[in-house]
Amino acid sequence: VPGIFSRHYKARRAVLGKDYCNRNVPFLRVQYANLRSARDILSLSGPDIQRLTHLSKSDVQHLHKAVAVSYRRLSPVTALQVHRGECPSLDPGHKLSLACPVLDSLLRGGVPLAGITELAGESSAGKTQLGLQLCLSVQYPLEYGGLNSGAVYICTEDSFPIKRLRQLISQQPRLRSELPPALIRRIRFSDNVYIEHAADLGALQACISQRVPILLSRGLVRLVVLDSVTALFRSEFQADEGMERARQMSALAATLHRLSHNYSAPVLCINQVTDVMDGPDPANCNFGLVDNKVRPALGMAWANQVMVRLMLLRLPGYMGPRSQGSSSSSAPRRLEVVFAPHLPRASCLCGVWEEGVRGLTSTEPGDQEIKVLVP
Amino acid sequence: MQRAVSSYPFAPSVKVKLLNAGFHSAADLCDLRPLQLSKEAGISQEEAVEVLQAVRCEPGQERAAASQLTALELLEREQELGSIVTFCSALDTALGGGLPVGKTTEVCGAPGVGKTQLCIQLAVDAQIPVCFGGLGGKSLYIDTEGSFLVQRAVDIAQAAVEHCGLLAEDAEQQESLKEFTVETVLSNLFLVRCHDYVELLAETYLLADFLAHHPEIRLVVIDSIAFPFRHDFDDLSQRTRLLNGLAQQLIQMATNHNVAVILTNQMTTKVWNGHSKLVPALGESWGHAATQRLILHWEGTNRLASLYKSPSQTEATVRYQITAQGFRDVPHSNQPKASVDPTVSQSGSMSKRPRMEEV
Repeated sequence: VPGIFSRHYKARRAVLGKDYCNRNVPFLRVQYANLRSARDILSLSGPDIQRLTHLSKSDVQHLHKAVAVSYRRLSPVTALQVHRGECPSLDPGHKLSLACPVLDSLLRGGVPLAGITELAGESSAGKTQLGLQLCLSVQYPLEYGGLNSGAVYICTEDSFPIKRLRQLISQQPRLRSELPPALIRRIRFSDNVYIEHAADLGALQACISQRVPILLSRGLVRLVVLDSVTALFRSEFQADEGMERARQMSALAATLHRLSHNYSAPVLCINQVTDVMDGPDPANCNFGLVDNKVRPALGMAWANQVMVRLMLLRLPGYMGPRSQGSSSSSAPRRLEVVFAPHLPRASCLCGVWEEGVRGLTSTEPGDQEIKVLVP
Repeated sequence: MQRAVSSYPFAPSVKVKLLNAGFHSAADLCDLRPLQLSKEAGISQEEAVEVLQAVRCEPGQERAAASQLTALELLEREQELGSIVTFCSALDTALGGGLPVGKTTEVCGAPGVGKTQLCIQLAVDAQIPVCFGGLGGKSLYIDTEGSFLVQRAVDIAQAAVEHCGLLAEDAEQQESLKEFTVETVLSNLFLVRCHDYVELLAETYLLADFLAHHPEIRLVVIDSIAFPFRHDFDDLSQRTRLLNGLAQQLIQMATNHNVAVILTNQMTTKVWNGHSKLVPALGESWGHAATQRLILHWEGTNRLASLYKSPSQTEATVRYQITAQGFRDVPHSNQPKASVDPTVSQSGSMSKRPRMEEV
């Protein structure tokens, strides 16, 4: 039908928005073929669209390009622009501090804001302790390594360790002795930790797809801790349901990933470990860790979704009080970077004390009156 | 084939009708039959036959001209394109001098084995000045996982710049070093972030134009192709169609714009006959997509790279390591006895393509 382009300008504009109008593409045919959104058009191949709309090849190319231009969020930027902090959506330029300079330096500043960070370890390795510590550290202002916002803590295993959180809050002046005490007194820590319980996968999915986005979009929280990701997947599926399990896992990870990137809010997932069988296992990857007796649970389907993988290992022995006026002692632990795009494989010694998790510099454990006693 | 319809010697009324019906270039017309064209454009059948004859006689000659290339010419052309060094000489040897320009390469591996590190390394290495044996190009990095951290790119660029600084001997090399700094490396590394597969597809539709505007680009990285395509898909046959279309487009892009395309892929557990094994993700048909396939894997504490599929090189397995500086060789003193088969590396060094380092 000749003249179709000019006459139906309004119809085109109504259907596809004004960005598409100035192109010489007969959009009515696109409309007849029931392609109503940019996603529909982009996710069909050129030949498919030709078949549906009877448009010529170059028209379809024009259509694809016009739709693609309006669909993309950001045209290509250079790494230099990102490095200079001109594109905060690609690289916010700072990280979430772990509230301990030694641990922060192991992670080159802290937990990255975008992406899933996993913390794996045996039970009693101190995973929950580190999760709680982050829930408090996120509440400090930006200049002190926090994000000036709250945290949401999703429990799937135990009930939330509220007593321990209170203890950690009361001990904040001791943990962050380098900060002005007035600042610590001003923050109302317990008001900014939102606690969610999810007893099954359905509840978890509802929580992270409905309630958590509301908290994030209102700026009430900027940290999501999931403690643990393992429990539900270990209990709800039988051995022969591997496919379904992998599908659910990747759906969960995709949701968390999207949340993290949309709000540049770190997501910390706590994971359990499994024992390593003797001998080579072709179905699994040891990540180059031959000495470890355990490896993070949930296999490859989950590991593919994780950006930073950390492991906490409990070591035999005993360490005395970390600071004066404290009577608590701790078993030594090792925090290990298994993989991360920006970190070398490294580890540092740390311990869990009354005031929280602290790392030890390997060179000077002696002058801090800490002795690792190996029985 | 892209000659505009308006440039043909047709009657003005025919031209107007053709343009109004959406036929803008010769490519739009050449697949049609006269009857179809007369209906679509509202012209008479005789006019349609004339139009088609005029359009078809020319591209035929062009096509013939393009295909009149001898194998020798093709070989020379391919060698002119050169390749991008990886800074791991064992892997360069296995690949026949580095990552070939004008071809697509898939890198598969478990998380943390070094796929992203290799990609960032190559994105920096594509910019090494010509007098150091590099290509002096630019790179485009399409990040779908959010794992490109600029901090790491700075590390690797810094190390590459220092490395070239140590090698510089003559005045020409000294001169080119002024243009090869961390800042210029970063400013020649273009970055796109795609959040899902639709955004990735959108980006590939725009890629041809971007490459045409930036003809210095020698490397396009998609890290990773697997991540956006491994969820949100209920209809696996649609996924296969989209992936095949994407692969086709990328191969075309690699050939037309003389760029190396590197795609990363994840590994997945495959179970059959009661045995399970790690294999590259995205299914069997995707295995045909890229020209070369490189699999990175762990063996004990060693990182190994296996060239799994290549039209020109023999299969080989070499060791590499990831250091603070980037993707590197394992020092010779650390070479283990059995892990690297000496015969394999031997045959790798006698590769058909000469290394382009001294060019």
